[in-house]
Amino acid sequence: MKKVIASALCLTMVGTAMFTGCASKQEEKVLNVWAFTNEVPDMIKRYKELHPEFDYEIKETIIATTEGAYQPALDSALAAGGADAPDIYCAEAAFVLKYTQGSAAQYAMPYADLGINVDSALKTAEIAQYTVDIGTRPSDGKLVALGYQATGGAFIYRRSVAQKAWGTDDPAVVADKIGSGSGNWTKFWQAAEDLKAVGCGIVSGDGDIWHAVENSSSTGWVVDGKLSISAEREDFLNISMKLMENGYHNDTQDWQDAWFADMKGEGPKDILGFFGPAWLINYTIGPNCGSKDEDGNLVGTFADGVGTWGDWAVCASPVGFFWGGTWVIANKDTKHKDAVKTIIEWITLDASENGLQYMWANGTLYGEGGTKDAVASGAVMKKSNGELDFLAGQNMFDAFVPAGEYATGKNLTEYDETINGYWRDQVRQYTSGAKSYEQAIEDFKAQVAENLDVTVE
Amino acid sequence: MQKKRSVVDYSRYGYFFSIPFIVTFLIFTLYPVLYTSIIGFTDMKGLGNTNIHFLTSDPFANFKEVLSSELFRLSLFNTFRIWIYNFIPQLGLALLLTAWFTDNRLQIKAKGFFKVIFYLPNIITMASIAILFRAFFGYPMGPANDLVTRIKGPGTEIKFLQDRDTTRNIVAFIQFWMWYGYTMVQLVSGVIGISPDIFEAAEIDGANRVQTFFFITIPNIRTILLFTLVTSLIGGLNMFDIPKLLMNGGPDNATITASLYIYNQAFSGSYKYNTAAAASMIMFVLIVICSAILFYIMRDKDEAALKKLRKAEKKAMKG
Amino acid sequence: MDKNKVSKSKQPLYLMIPLYIACVVLAILSIVPFWVMIVNATRSTTQIQQHAISFIPGGSIAKNFSILNAKKTFNPVIGFTNSAVISVGVTGLAVYFSSLTAYAITAYDWKLKNAFFSMIMAIMMIPAQVTTIGFYQAVYKVGMTNNRLMLILPAIASPMMVFFMRQYLQASLSMEIVQSGRIDGAGEFRIFNQIVLPIMKPAIATQAIFTFVSSWNSYFMPLVLLTKSEKYTMPIMVSLLNGDIYKTEYGCVYLGLTMTVLPLIIVYLFLSKYIVAGVALGGVKG
Repeated sequence: MKKVIASALCLTMVGTAMFTGCASKQEEKVLNVWAFTNEVPDMIKRYKELHPEFDYEIKETIIATTEGAYQPALDSALAAGGADAPDIYCAEAAFVLKYTQGSAAQYAMPYADLGINVDSALKTAEIAQYTVDIGTRPSDGKLVALGYQATGGAFIYRRSVAQKAWGTDDPAVVADKIGSGSGNWTKFWQAAEDLKAVGCGIVSGDGDIWHAVENSSSTGWVVDGKLSISAEREDFLNISMKLMENGYHNDTQDWQDAWFADMKGEGPKDILGFFGPAWLINYTIGPNCGSKDEDGNLVGTFADGVGTWGDWAVCASPVGFFWGGTWVIANKDTKHKDAVKTIIEWITLDASENGLQYMWANGTLYGEGGTKDAVASGAVMKKSNGELDFLAGQNMFDAFVPAGEYATGKNLTEYDETINGYWRDQVRQYTSGAKSYEQAIEDFKAQVAENLDVTVE
Repeated sequence: MQKKRSVVDYSRYGYFFSIPFIVTFLIFTLYPVLYTSIIGFTDMKGLGNTNIHFLTSDPFANFKEVLSSELFRLSLFNTFRIWIYNFIPQLGLALLLTAWFTDNRLQIKAKGFFKVIFYLPNIITMASIAILFRAFFGYPMGPANDLVTRIKGPGTEIKFLQDRDTTRNIVAFIQFWMWYGYTMVQLVSGVIGISPDIFEAAEIDGANRVQTFFFITIPNIRTILLFTLVTSLIGGLNMFDIPKLLMNGGPDNATITASLYIYNQAFSGSYKYNTAAAASMIMFVLIVICSAILFYIMRDKDEAALKKLRKAEKKAMKG
Repeated sequence: MDKNKVSKSKQPLYLMIPLYIACVVLAILSIVPFWVMIVNATRSTTQIQQHAISFIPGGSIAKNFSILNAKKTFNPVIGFTNSAVISVGVTGLAVYFSSLTAYAITAYDWKLKNAFFSMIMAIMMIPAQVTTIGFYQAVYKVGMTNNRLMLILPAIASPMMVFFMRQYLQASLSMEIVQSGRIDGAGEFRIFNQIVLPIMKPAIATQAIFTFVSSWNSYFMPLVLLTKSEKYTMPIMVSLLNGDIYKTEYGCVYLGLTMTVLPLIIVYLFLSKYIVAGVALGGVKG
């Protein structure tokens, strides 16, 4: 044991010696980039590769959002300022409002102050309005954040199930059947009945519908500091119960084993589809459809009887919504305005074929054959090829361009992540029969009142 | 012994040897502690709020708010409920295993292996454990429900993590399972510290193994047992990771613990640092009270009596 | 001799069978999560998403390795080094100085001794959640983020370990040994290092293991304090694998978790002989 202690102490000394070496050195051309994934920092590095004349060093700080560590760290870095303060920082849909409209909005520099001609650029690029709404600071009406991805949501459904219920898999017919664009759920319930008649469900679980319901609301959760439960959101109690009582779904929870099984068509009954943006196809349904082997290679398609690859199509959702997304923000105290402008403009507003979004939409940012994704610029999507084998050759942008226009960014608050969690928890209590309708709402209100600085009536 | 001590006064070494601890404490812990206790008396909420005032009209407003909160009371109930359901079996099992593994007469084969293995659950990070348990009790698919349907037939899946008491028990079980090995290792190290002569003497006197355990082992590890009780109490009342990671305090607040309540006050959106700080102070007082009770129950009665005697002696000498 | 033979005779089966069954069941319960974790490291993300728990290894370990290799934020060499520096530093400082402090409280009679011990107990009871915030803010204000010493040095004041060591010493330290050391002319500091520390071996071994494990796994403090990728510890690197909300490579994450845990298990097994065998107390007799 003595040896152990001795060697432990010895190592400690060595460790201590190592610290003395790291004095901080000031460099001129350094861009501090804060993000919660390596996506944006990697883009900026890629920009450097493509434009060697851009001679800034990129210092990335990546802190995962898991366990909520990103925001406290970012907040202190913004508040403290100085050489280590971020020049560019990213925010995810779940908490972007805090940095554009809420308690941390004062740290953002308006895009116009960077020297970007915002109005004309927005128009040329046909940027989805909801991303602009979210990125606009209410105190001065100035745009402070934009994204590159479009996360407007559509209905992603299985052709074979549509065939079974209605004898066709044509997106136009299915759109009509589920009441696409109607703004309400009336036709959707009829479709659910049709599907039930042939032994299928319409969605996998109530969570699939939630994002659409949430975004169809006329008001956000908090209006003038008061909790507001809009009729649309309150109706989710009924929607969820209806799905459950009628067996319209497989009663799964999003991101759990059973939910993924439905993508493969291996649930208790086949289900028609999922509500989601393009990334749900790329990152979730695609890899989980059962047609790929464990190395991610396609080993067959639905036609061969292997998984559901090629059995999918997209059409518009009954009510518009968006789900997720990353916004890019500039720090008002940045010392490298020009460089920040160059980067932000390239990522968020450049609709040319050299802009990031064109390469992102066509999957060519890191070379040919990458993942195609919907982007914020409608102009880019219109000149890009969104055909996917997964969708049996359908051009996904046909559905996702309108989806981006259809989503609204006006009913959000910075408390949404927390409040949505409470709401869905109470909805589950209600549908499982543990609570009455009134009790669920009552307890939801109490929960909000206890944890947040929000008035509840 | 008494004589020698009076010749050379060694007491200053007590101060010397405590200096590193005190200095470190002053540098690294004091500021955060004071910081927290002061915030409890201010109106500090919201992010980047620089306009902070002490509450002048009612300095204890934050404390009153917390104490009158139903959710806080529920979180206290949950904390104690989960702690008791975890700690009693945990200590029981740890004591039983300690008795088995330190009993020279039992000669359990591979006991070294078992001792080492039982601590293993403590090595994995809490985050992985929470993920595994959530998947295990998943609905409608998951190993637990596979078992249920295999026994009771299809359509009988149970929403384990929707039921309040079931989820509380799952959290308690995870805590139990993660920590019984830790507790056992500590108790065993206490038993190893007992001089073997004492056991030999007991054996010669013909004590059976139950007698040996209760009359020799337990009294001799009383100090370590007190440590186990107090630290487990503190750990239990500060329980945070598993309830947070498993269901984020749900379903329906069933696994909100006091720590999670504090965390939510500070970080779930409104940055109510003031009530969070007040709630922490309340928890601190509560823990001190509970620990004091434990100390009182577990105090060394002989030593306490001896101390009194000594004091009286000193007084008499002075007088 | 005779007595020994009697005492080590065979024990009745009705006692031994349930005992072994209990031990085996508990052992299985302890190993299962490791098994699942290691198995998941060999499975593809899709397989894991569809059945999170499986006991049968898959064939994707090479694939997971290559995904892991491609992640720029995941550098196991740097991660291991950082984690090792911090954990070894924390463990060494905590064990040594806690023993010293506990010895100060147990062996000497000084005026403020009881007050000091009460203070240590009180520090131990402060809820952790909010002090970490204050600590972070303090470190940030003095510009010491990204300095590993900020994570290591606080270990000198580990109230819980002082408490344990004190409890241990109360039960097992006899002042006579200390006295005999003094008679031999040893200084107080030498007595502590050469006589008292060896007595504390079993306690030190267990506390060293616990401290090392919790320090190796600690996540939140390093995460907010260390923002430069060259300072990241293993748990931070693994959490970054989790970072992309839309497409988590679970196979990769489990491989990262397995890589994080393996050195821990090795260190544990190395130190565990002190748990298993116990250590004869150097020269202490009744």
